[in-house]
Amino acid sequence: MKRIRLDRWATQLQPPRNPRLHLQRCPFSSETRAPRRELQQRQDQIQHQWQHQRRHATTRRKLSSTAEVLGEDASGAPIPPGTLQDGELAASPPPPLYAPSHRRAAQSAKLSALHARLSLPSKLPLQTLARCLIDPSADPRTGYNNAPFAVLGQDLLGYYTSEYLMCHYPRLPMPVLFAAQYAYVGNATLGAMRAEWGVEVVAAPGMEVDPGLLQLKRTVPGNAMMDGETRQLKEMPQAKRLGSGRRNEEHGYRRGMSSRIVFDDQFGDLQSGLPPADARPYPGAAISSPAEDSVEAGSEQQQDALGPVTTPPSQLQTPEETHAITVEAGSASFIRALTGALYLHAGSAASKSFHRDHVLSRQLPLHTLFHFTHPTRDLSRLCDREGFEPPVARLISETGRLSRTPVFVVGVYSGDDKLGEGAGSSLNEGRVRAAAAALRSWYLYSPPDTDVVLPSEVEGAAGTGRAKKQWKPQMVDYGEIVT
Amino acid sequence: MPLQALRTVAKPQNGVGAFILQCKRIDLHYCDWAGSSKGMNDFLRTTLPAFAKQNPSIELSVSPRPGRHPVIKGLYINGRQKAICVRNMESGEILRKVELLKAASGERLRRERRPVKSANESVRGVWDPFHGHKYRI
Repeated sequence: MKRIRLDRWATQLQPPRNPRLHLQRCPFSSETRAPRRELQQRQDQIQHQWQHQRRHATTRRKLSSTAEVLGEDASGAPIPPGTLQDGELAASPPPPLYAPSHRRAAQSAKLSALHARLSLPSKLPLQTLARCLIDPSADPRTGYNNAPFAVLGQDLLGYYTSEYLMCHYPRLPMPVLFAAQYAYVGNATLGAMRAEWGVEVVAAPGMEVDPGLLQLKRTVPGNAMMDGETRQLKEMPQAKRLGSGRRNEEHGYRRGMSSRIVFDDQFGDLQSGLPPADARPYPGAAISSPAEDSVEAGSEQQQDALGPVTTPPSQLQTPEETHAITVEAGSASFIRALTGALYLHAGSAASKSFHRDHVLSRQLPLHTLFHFTHPTRDLSRLCDREGFEPPVARLISETGRLSRTPVFVVGVYSGDDKLGEGAGSSLNEGRVRAAAAALRSWYLYSPPDTDVVLPSEVEGAAGTGRAKKQWKPQMVDYGEIVT
Repeated sequence: MPLQALRTVAKPQNGVGAFILQCKRIDLHYCDWAGSSKGMNDFLRTTLPAFAKQNPSIELSVSPRPGRHPVIKGLYINGRQKAICVRNMESGEILRKVELLKAASGERLRRERRPVKSANESVRGVWDPFHGHKYRI
């Protein structure tokens, strides 16, 4: 499988390694360095030297989109249109700001305190941390909000958590794996984590708020009254239908475990934000089939009944058009964005230790996540599959059989080996609890720590350093019990 | 369905991985006229910059409160506040009070009856009458 080259995706924020590229250094990390003009001149000198050595014509690449933001000098004064440097784009009027400017990031005490409280590496600039706190609902332009980082960070967090769970607990069944993944990096946990870090949320986003606050457009609670209505918001019919990527969107239609693995997200939940299956693309969308002009001209009424039209991605430019979100969703996107930004600025080792320190340090008793319906049936299928002797329940001890509070301690044996034990107030309850305990002990098997090698420890940058670990093939289980 | 899962949230253990200092902000109020604020003014001029440098994770806010005693207030991650009036104290005493605010967790002061808190019941298991020796008369 082709390896994803994340270092290529990061050229927007990291300085270029190739002198052929224009100066694409992080536009936000200039507070203590030389002014932009000197650096631009130095880069031009390097480029000319390289040109003389190689005797090739250089190709000028387009500057990244964030360079458009900086129609101003490093000191903050806007450059007059006639005096632009070579290679900078033509000056346009400064873009409107819906959140505090990145220049205020260095002056915010809250932001610096947050940076120190989380012990973030100094490679991560304060300006990027400020950008991670701006949700797309506060500012929909992808050059200004945390959405690009959040996409990367969500995949990183999911990758590290899932490899940890799968390598340490190879027999964990799929529903429990989904639940454990949610318990570690789901929205609820990340919302709680944001509160534990002391990050406060604004009442409403704007230019005047402190850059150290989390900015999002907060959704109105469902039990609030609609304006001008006597009904509550949660009782009003939903105007916008959400899709999950499947062909049939009917609630729960053929949505078993395999369907979840294919279509749903890392927690087994429906994907949000995808258009429904019968949605038509917006006019002008890049689709492979030719646009049906004759159909559009003729039947306007029919098209209204067909289904909703997707919105083009560039349409949302102002916060008035964005959808409000919950504080939990905003907190989750902030923490994911922080992970992504850490990866881009400080490398995979920093993001991995961030995950270890904040996510894996949390306590999750996996045995509480199991919910059995017929453990005795499952256990007998398991013993049959593995070639054990059929399980037999035997009474180990009991007390108070004829009293109001009997206790029966039942053990489930396969031959002479005791697989599990459980206590109950009736013989049947004891037998069922014993079978459940036996199944839990099977599913929660964990190989010795010396045998566990995580893929991220040997892949990529980690695989070339001094502390390189030797790869050992990890245990892959036969699969879940099929009844 | 053979097996279902129950959703929950993993519990935090501050200090096991990363340690988050619970004091996130300290407000320092002083007065230029009142005699009770003399030590506080000295503290702000001489000792506070070094304290701020050593504790970058605490947001410090200095503001005048004319005609009142000097006071320091700590704001914590659990949302609670602790305020200490530092009237007539010397710079060293005020530093000790500020360190006290920094080291606090924000919870109320209460008498702790159980010295050890743990998520695990015990290492060797809790006794029950059904396993082990049976008492015979």
